[in-house]
Amino acid sequence: MAETKLTPQDFAPLHSEREVQSLSRPSLSYWQDAWIRLKANRRALISLYIVIFLLAFTVVGPWFWTIDPSTIDPDQISQPPGANREVVVTAPYEPWSIDSIVVPASGMALVGEPTTQSIRMAWAPMPGAFGYRVYRNHFPVEPGKALGLPLVNILNPDETWFEDRLNLKAQDYYYAVVATDATGNRISDPVSVDVLPERVITAEEAIRRGIASAEEPPAIGTPLKMKLHPLGTDYLGRDMLSRLMHGARVSLFIGIFAPFAYVILGIAYGAIAGFLGGIIDQFMMRFADFVVALPFLLFMIVFKLAFSVGAGESGIFAMLIAMIVLLWPGTARLVRGQILQIREEGYVSAAKLMGANTNYLVLRHMIPNTMGVILVTLTFAVPSAIFTEAFLSFIGMGVAPPTPSWGSMCNEGIKTMLTTPHELLFPAALISITVLVFNLLGDGLRDALDARMRSRE
Amino acid sequence: MDTASGSSSVLRQLGLYALLTIVGIALLMWAMSWIASVTGSAERTQTAIDPETRSASFLLGDEPPQLDSSKATDALSGMVLGHVMEGLLAYNENNQLTAGVAERWDIRERGATFWLRRDAKWSNGEPITAHDFVYSWRLAVDPANSSQYAFLLYAVKNGEAITQGKMPLESLGVTAIDDYTLEVEFENSTAYFGKLVAFSTYYPINEKFHKSVKDRFGADADTLLYSGPYMIENWVHGASLKMVRNPHYWNPGRGGLDIIDFPYITSDPNARLNLFKDGKIAIAGLSAENLGEAIDRRWQMNAFAEGVVFYIEFNHRPGRVTGNRHLRRAMQLVNDPAELVYKVTKLPGYLPGKSLFPVWVQGVNGFFRQEYPAPEAPVNIEQARWHLEQAKQELGLDEIPPLILLTGDNPLSTLQSEYYQDRFKRTLGLDVRIDKQIFKQRLEKMTAGEFDMVMAGWGPDFDDPLTFGDLFASWNEQNRGKYASSELDAQVRIAQRSVDTQERMDAFGEIQRILFEDAVILPGYERGIVYVVDERLEGVVRRAVGPDPDYTFARIREGS
Repeated sequence: MAETKLTPQDFAPLHSEREVQSLSRPSLSYWQDAWIRLKANRRALISLYIVIFLLAFTVVGPWFWTIDPSTIDPDQISQPPGANREVVVTAPYEPWSIDSIVVPASGMALVGEPTTQSIRMAWAPMPGAFGYRVYRNHFPVEPGKALGLPLVNILNPDETWFEDRLNLKAQDYYYAVVATDATGNRISDPVSVDVLPERVITAEEAIRRGIASAEEPPAIGTPLKMKLHPLGTDYLGRDMLSRLMHGARVSLFIGIFAPFAYVILGIAYGAIAGFLGGIIDQFMMRFADFVVALPFLLFMIVFKLAFSVGAGESGIFAMLIAMIVLLWPGTARLVRGQILQIREEGYVSAAKLMGANTNYLVLRHMIPNTMGVILVTLTFAVPSAIFTEAFLSFIGMGVAPPTPSWGSMCNEGIKTMLTTPHELLFPAALISITVLVFNLLGDGLRDALDARMRSRE
Repeated sequence: MDTASGSSSVLRQLGLYALLTIVGIALLMWAMSWIASVTGSAERTQTAIDPETRSASFLLGDEPPQLDSSKATDALSGMVLGHVMEGLLAYNENNQLTAGVAERWDIRERGATFWLRRDAKWSNGEPITAHDFVYSWRLAVDPANSSQYAFLLYAVKNGEAITQGKMPLESLGVTAIDDYTLEVEFENSTAYFGKLVAFSTYYPINEKFHKSVKDRFGADADTLLYSGPYMIENWVHGASLKMVRNPHYWNPGRGGLDIIDFPYITSDPNARLNLFKDGKIAIAGLSAENLGEAIDRRWQMNAFAEGVVFYIEFNHRPGRVTGNRHLRRAMQLVNDPAELVYKVTKLPGYLPGKSLFPVWVQGVNGFFRQEYPAPEAPVNIEQARWHLEQAKQELGLDEIPPLILLTGDNPLSTLQSEYYQDRFKRTLGLDVRIDKQIFKQRLEKMTAGEFDMVMAGWGPDFDDPLTFGDLFASWNEQNRGKYASSELDAQVRIAQRSVDTQERMDAFGEIQRILFEDAVILPGYERGIVYVVDERLEGVVRRAVGPDPDYTFARIREGS
């Protein structure tokens, strides 16, 4: 039997070998963990990038694209993106002097060069006419077919000329003239002429629009390019890109700031009511019911008066206050319900027994566990706030013209939806994208922040 | 998780959602149309033209606000009244003044006599007598009735004094000599009196009937007695109105329609266009947005000058900067109606405004505007800026405060007000704030003077330049900016009292000059209307003065 030799070292305490039992990955804080889970969610991540892009578009965009959003360009009204911008410099408009008119022997003929400034035409007098009516069409004139847009009724048989200046574009026009009797009924077959006018601009206007320099006024006949509008122009020839950037300021400000403000107010209110419970809870929730019952629109008007917002002034600030003051009870109710539920959970009781104080309980256990509900509320609140802004701007209580917002741009664009769809499509697409990314981001955030899903694969 | 499969699953999910949404919407629309077809089957099928019953359907833009002819002021009520009522004189299909209830008349310098036709009857078969006119004219000036259009009867002796309560009703200068002779005394000589009596305020009202229905007069189809070619058979407020031939009308051969139906009351231009496309109504006005569609569908369009002038009116009340002539001149010199009409409004039939008097107003021999050309101010920005500087000096201001531009809430007003806002900002650096209001509210603000500038319009009540000429007389209620000029007032008095056409037209020429030189208004445009008519219908009369449109001469084309 071998003898065991013991040395004092053998009686030294063992090193604690905690490493063996430690977790296989580093400890993560709540937020780090949430971030990891958010990063794993591609939808949410892409949405986050789009939100960042939208904010950059709003804040940084106007530094790069410096065109004023309220400058009207009457020569480029309702231009779609990528429209032809070629233009030729011409002399300033001179009224047509009656003496210079040469009436053709038969039929109808153009007088002078047809341009988008004016198209002048004259025709041979027609027997028996009391007057004439001139039409303009987009299709060749055919017997028995409609003649198009009636431009003018001339009530003088000797006035056999007409100058068209109405909204001329560089496209084919087919003019027709018919003789009329005393009551305006058509009494002859049409005589017609077709035209392709040249797009022109006067030197003065070219300088004013900034496409030619004032020091060297362009000579007549110089080809120029109209101002570039990458996303086209609206119904008054204002740059769409610039308006979208500036409109985003209002829409995103209201759409993000107002919901955050009233959701935070609602969380605080709901958490207090739910945590304290009892008579105070009853009292606070009845007050919330009272606020729900207040009519939003009426309050908007009252706030406008209270802040003495006059006619034609922006009501954005009043709108923000009204939204914060009136829209918090929804969140407050949800949060209170959740808190009431969580208050009874075992881990809260455990924490209480371990001596956690109220602040710790609310901030560490209750609020994070209601995060799912809160984020759902918030993501729904953002689009609804954007739409509220759009609606209020429409009834004249939001932004004052010429300040744009996405909502007011939609309302204006919808009138010309069939002819110039880009005026509606761009702001509508931006609203849709914003709403979608906030929803997807909110979805991802809810999953990421939900304490119960923590560290689950 | 595999990233590639992750992104494709996201796409698949999105695609699925999109598909579900589209299918859902399609199902919903199908279900709704099915419900509509089930519930709507009880209604009669509506067509624009029905040759069998000789009926035609049209659309009313709004509910007629006032069918009491002594009180009606608006064009829509005037249109409905023009179909169911007839005054002493009336307009025919060529827009000329012809005999109505009166078969003969004689207008002298100090008075007039009307001989009524003996076969003119009310829709209950009772004869229309001179007493009915005496009663209705007294009603119009009765202070207790407080008609806004009482001023139209100021031409009749003591009319103004009675309205102000200074004289009894019986002193009004109109008497029934017998049942069929009406004698009128003028306050001042009134050369255009024949044109006045065609207007709705001068229509007859049956005393017995009026007293029997009391306050309900004109409120419903059965609380009106009709003197015109048609009568209202059925009137559902806010929804529909139906007119049928008046069996007692003295001229049963007038027009070819037995039923004039207004089954829809809506002001929505898209609804209007869709109703026309579906063959539910026979006439539809077109707005700028749907002109392109009308061209592409190759509809035969008509245009006519409606006779209404639009302009910016300034507020001349003390304390308003727009009371300064230099400021107004500056704005006049940058105002470019041609650009407004041809590039911004873009509607055919619109004419750039040059004057308060529209182009169709008659002068001495021809058109007034050809005999008295409107003075013009070509755009001159430099001179405008000089005037602006003068204005600032006179007002003692470094900067002109923001100007309130009061305007209507329809798309066209919005467009134009934003154009003006940019125009004044860009050329003069003036800040303009747009105050958009509904019609009623705008009228209230105009009357109260809560504006610097207002986009206003004026349509003629009777066919004489005076209907425009007295608009800016200092005593006129419609002078919303309270412009007051003794020079202009004097010219209005001449135009009202003179019987010499030359002298009157000279006065109107002077009024036109004063309005221009004092820059009282900024002319905008003269409105035109573009509309489409069902091919089977002919003879619909459009006119600037009088009921418009007038269907009482319309016929359904043979063979349709």
